[in-house]
Amino acid sequence: MKLTRRNMMKLSAATAAAGAFGLPAFAQNIDELVIAYNTTLPSWDPTTGPSAVNPTIQGIYQSVFDQFILQQPDLSPAPGLLTEWGWNDDRTKVMMKVRQGVTWHDGSPFSAEDVAWSLARAADPATGNPINFVWSTLENFAADGDTVTADVKQFDPTIFKWMYFLTGYVLPKAYYEKVGADGFEEAPIGTGPYMVEKFERNAFVRLKANENYWGGKPDFETVTIKFVTDAAARVAEVESGNAHVTLEMPYEEYDRLKGTLNGVAAPISDIGMIFLNDIDVMLDENVRQACALAIDKQTIIDRLLSGYGVAIDTLQTPEYEAYEASIKVPYDPEKAKELLAASGYSTDNPVKFKIQTTRGFKPKDYEMIQAIVGLWRRVGIEAEIEVYEIAKHYELRAADTLAPAAFYNWGNSVGDPTTSTGFAMFGPSPHSVWDGADLIEKIGPLWGEADEAKRIEGWKEVDRYVAENALVIPLLQYVQPILSAKGVEVTPHASGALLPHLMKRA
Amino acid sequence: MQILRSLLFRLASTAVTLVGVAVIVFFVIRVVPGDPIAMMLPPGATDEDIARLTALYGLDKSIPEQFFIWAGGVLQGDFGTSITARRPVLDLVLGRLPATLELSIMALVIAVILGGVAALTGTRERGTKVEAGIDVANGMALSVPDFLWALILILLFGVAWPVFHISGRVTPSLDLPFVTNFYLFESLVRLRFDLWADIVSHMFMPALALAIPLAAIIGQLLKQSLKETMHLDYVTLARTKGYGENHVIIREALPNAILPTLTLVGVQFTFLIGGTVIIERLFSYEGLGNMAIDAVINRDLPLIQGIVILFAVLFTVVNLVVDLTYALLNPRLRNA
Amino acid sequence: MLDGRSQIRRKIGLRLWLSGGWLLILVLAAVFAPLLSPHGPLEQDLFLGRMPPFWVAGAEPGYYLGTDSLGRDVLTRIIYGARVALIVALVAGSITALVGSTLGLLAGYLRGWVDVVISRLIDIWMAFPPVLFSILLIAVLGPGLVSIIIAIVVIDWTRFARVVRAEAMAQGAMDYPASAQIAGRTRISTMIVEILPNVLPTIVVLLTLEMGIAVIVEAILSFVNLSISTDDPTWGGMISEGRTSIHQAWWIMVFPLITLFLTVLSFSQFGEGLKDRFDPVLR
Repeated sequence: MKLTRRNMMKLSAATAAAGAFGLPAFAQNIDELVIAYNTTLPSWDPTTGPSAVNPTIQGIYQSVFDQFILQQPDLSPAPGLLTEWGWNDDRTKVMMKVRQGVTWHDGSPFSAEDVAWSLARAADPATGNPINFVWSTLENFAADGDTVTADVKQFDPTIFKWMYFLTGYVLPKAYYEKVGADGFEEAPIGTGPYMVEKFERNAFVRLKANENYWGGKPDFETVTIKFVTDAAARVAEVESGNAHVTLEMPYEEYDRLKGTLNGVAAPISDIGMIFLNDIDVMLDENVRQACALAIDKQTIIDRLLSGYGVAIDTLQTPEYEAYEASIKVPYDPEKAKELLAASGYSTDNPVKFKIQTTRGFKPKDYEMIQAIVGLWRRVGIEAEIEVYEIAKHYELRAADTLAPAAFYNWGNSVGDPTTSTGFAMFGPSPHSVWDGADLIEKIGPLWGEADEAKRIEGWKEVDRYVAENALVIPLLQYVQPILSAKGVEVTPHASGALLPHLMKRA
Repeated sequence: MQILRSLLFRLASTAVTLVGVAVIVFFVIRVVPGDPIAMMLPPGATDEDIARLTALYGLDKSIPEQFFIWAGGVLQGDFGTSITARRPVLDLVLGRLPATLELSIMALVIAVILGGVAALTGTRERGTKVEAGIDVANGMALSVPDFLWALILILLFGVAWPVFHISGRVTPSLDLPFVTNFYLFESLVRLRFDLWADIVSHMFMPALALAIPLAAIIGQLLKQSLKETMHLDYVTLARTKGYGENHVIIREALPNAILPTLTLVGVQFTFLIGGTVIIERLFSYEGLGNMAIDAVINRDLPLIQGIVILFAVLFTVVNLVVDLTYALLNPRLRNA
Repeated sequence: MLDGRSQIRRKIGLRLWLSGGWLLILVLAAVFAPLLSPHGPLEQDLFLGRMPPFWVAGAEPGYYLGTDSLGRDVLTRIIYGARVALIVALVAGSITALVGSTLGLLAGYLRGWVDVVISRLIDIWMAFPPVLFSILLIAVLGPGLVSIIIAIVVIDWTRFARVVRAEAMAQGAMDYPASAQIAGRTRISTMIVEILPNVLPTIVVLLTLEMGIAVIVEAILSFVNLSISTDDPTWGGMISEGRTSIHQAWWIMVFPLITLFLTVLSFSQFGEGLKDRFDPVLR
């Protein structure tokens, strides 16, 4: 049993060369691109069950399936399977034009029927689509030639944005009806840039380029996505050359390797924030303001996240439509002390409450909260940390029983204010814990606002009101680190999806 | 007749134990806060959506009702469907079981070898510094549980002197030709020694961590019984016949000293299997225990139930086998 | 053979001294933590993150064993961590001993249906994987010191119950309890007056061992993020935090690990030493 590291490396290199994964040093020779992915794929149906709303696996889905509308790397929409879309003048009908000449992976033609069926299926609560509440605002889907129409049951200005968001995928009607749900799980087909060649649950999926992809054949003929949930193992994979691309590793590791490998670290549509629940001491505006002012976001990002993060002051990141740069919440511990003193608190008589956080769910989540609690302690805030798991967070948030402060991360890859500030801050939403009547009143009319410019302005006003009254504490926008072998050029997608068809030979 | 009757009694009692485990685990996890349904809600879900999903997974019924539905299914081999993986619990659990079994058995083998060598050396060198050294090492190995040994091994052989893999079961880039999940066994059968070496170098650290405390127990007990046996007449007789010390210990004393150790190893083996839960977590080893912790974190109730039941079955089966072996090997007990 | 045994006798003394000494140091450290610690346990400075221990180049004066990623002093947190460790050890250990021994005593001495019920419970308990069971329990109870103590008691009472039951059964079979009963005592008072003192040494030994186990359980639960969740220091918490940055700052994990190792070893060796003292023949 005498195994030295060198021996072992030789061994694994030899076996890898003998196996199906080649290890060429230059990308020109990479026939088979290997990606070490940070999650496993529990199910192939992108429209049902918990995996449908899991943001981390959308990249795999989008390799095989197309969404109704294409989302570009900067989050903006572009013609995809739908080439045109819109409402009629009185917003009672939607109309969509379907791309011609597209085929499914089995060679059968894609048609408007497929789109209508996919929409109707999503709107049917019996299929178990978790976003059913959005899709069911439309009804009476009909396909006619290259056009799909539907009646608007209830006007939702964001309906077309959902067509490039969670569960907004087009599935093959005829094929699905022929093979059924189980058969589809066995052998899924889509219209996407890659076809599923081999799928080994919990291990890997091997994809083959779709020659006839309407958006052009992707650069790499074969792509193998290996599921490597352990971050250290993913790093070892790219470092040893067994994988060509990987994502989400500790920032320290990213810094260490970005010289020898290609590194991209771009901000994504995922933010860290602290929910404030309007109970106990959080009803005191001075306390809330002080909590927000006493957090030195930039230093936390610099010291704990090695600088990888963008400090934010509203729930919008700079890429989102309703981002307003003029809304600022500065780091001002002196002001925080003043405000606390006005409410009778000081470092000797601190205000006390509980803050909940996940631990290890997002990079440095627990450490960040400890740092924040440390900063708070200096101004006279004594917060007790409670660690909870993400499942508990969801339950508490749905029941509106979160602690006065609770750390969470919020993804919003369509960049619309309704899916950030809207659902997070609107009292009646099961995702919100702030129930102030004045905020409900401000947000209420925006849900159905048909004038787009007016709608976005309205949300900016809401964000300003939220920031001025410290109803939530936005912390930072996450940065996603991606490492790739020299010679593979990765285009990061701001939604956080790692898309193999956007990878090119350099 | 006697044996048959006691066997029947044991089987009945095992069944009662398993029912007890099933009842307890079912009701304990129903009071776990954290809602698997709430986890799959997207932004903007309404109360109706929650109700619809709850009904879809049968979580809207009363707890006793849920229990009987579940228990009825279990009796027909249906352990329900995992909420997170959306696959039958039985498939998932049986898929992971081989990994855990291989790890446990490898740990057992290491423990028997280490403990056996320690006991034999200690007996051979009795009264010397070597024996004292073995005693001290035994004492330390026995005092510190597998969890700490695992951390120490990670530091030593994963960080300070990286010789072994400290994460996973097999290097992910290898193309595995396996049809079963018994990777270690199947790689041998297929004569793929390259794969076998890779798998062993992944399993060695967690298996060693699990093995150390058990090795100490084996070493201590076996040495004690050996010492007692060494004084018996026939051993002395063998020695006067001129056999060497090694022969005397291994051929004469060992077969008679091994029985008490054997029973103990059986019981301790169940503890070792229980220990895989945290050890698999530490080494990111894709076994049952690791899946169990994920299931608790994700509140995947059907999966938790399935795993706990499977562990309980494993424990009771091991105990049953040990008892039967002991009864068969020990003539005194056979008549009792 | 003879000199071999005398050698062992000498070691027993040494063993008790060494393990007892370390445990005493811990108790003193826990009690006088504010006086001994160079810094506050919660004092943090993001600009002093991950400073190495004093003998390594780049160390910050005054932080002898270095700092963690938030710039907190590792030595101070180890000293304060002794408080949680000892509280868990003492409280959880004692309650477990109390519950387990009572049930074991009742089962072993009273026999009959009491024994049937308790033995059956023990059987069921033994069929649960203990680590998984404790994680499940903490998930039910929510993290926190009290939950950890409850989880340890619920899981480990069988350790006492099994041994004490067997001992009580053996004692009950002897003559003296019967004669005590003839002398007019009730069964319960016989159990307490006659049987208990005889099984007490066993209970004390088990208790010492259990304390070491309790410390480990806390560390394991910390490792799966289910222990005490404030930023109060615990060894287990420090180890699990340190593990994530082991390649960048080994000292965050190594020092608490050494402390935990010595503590668990000491509890166990202290118990073994006591066992030899109470019953030298047992070995």
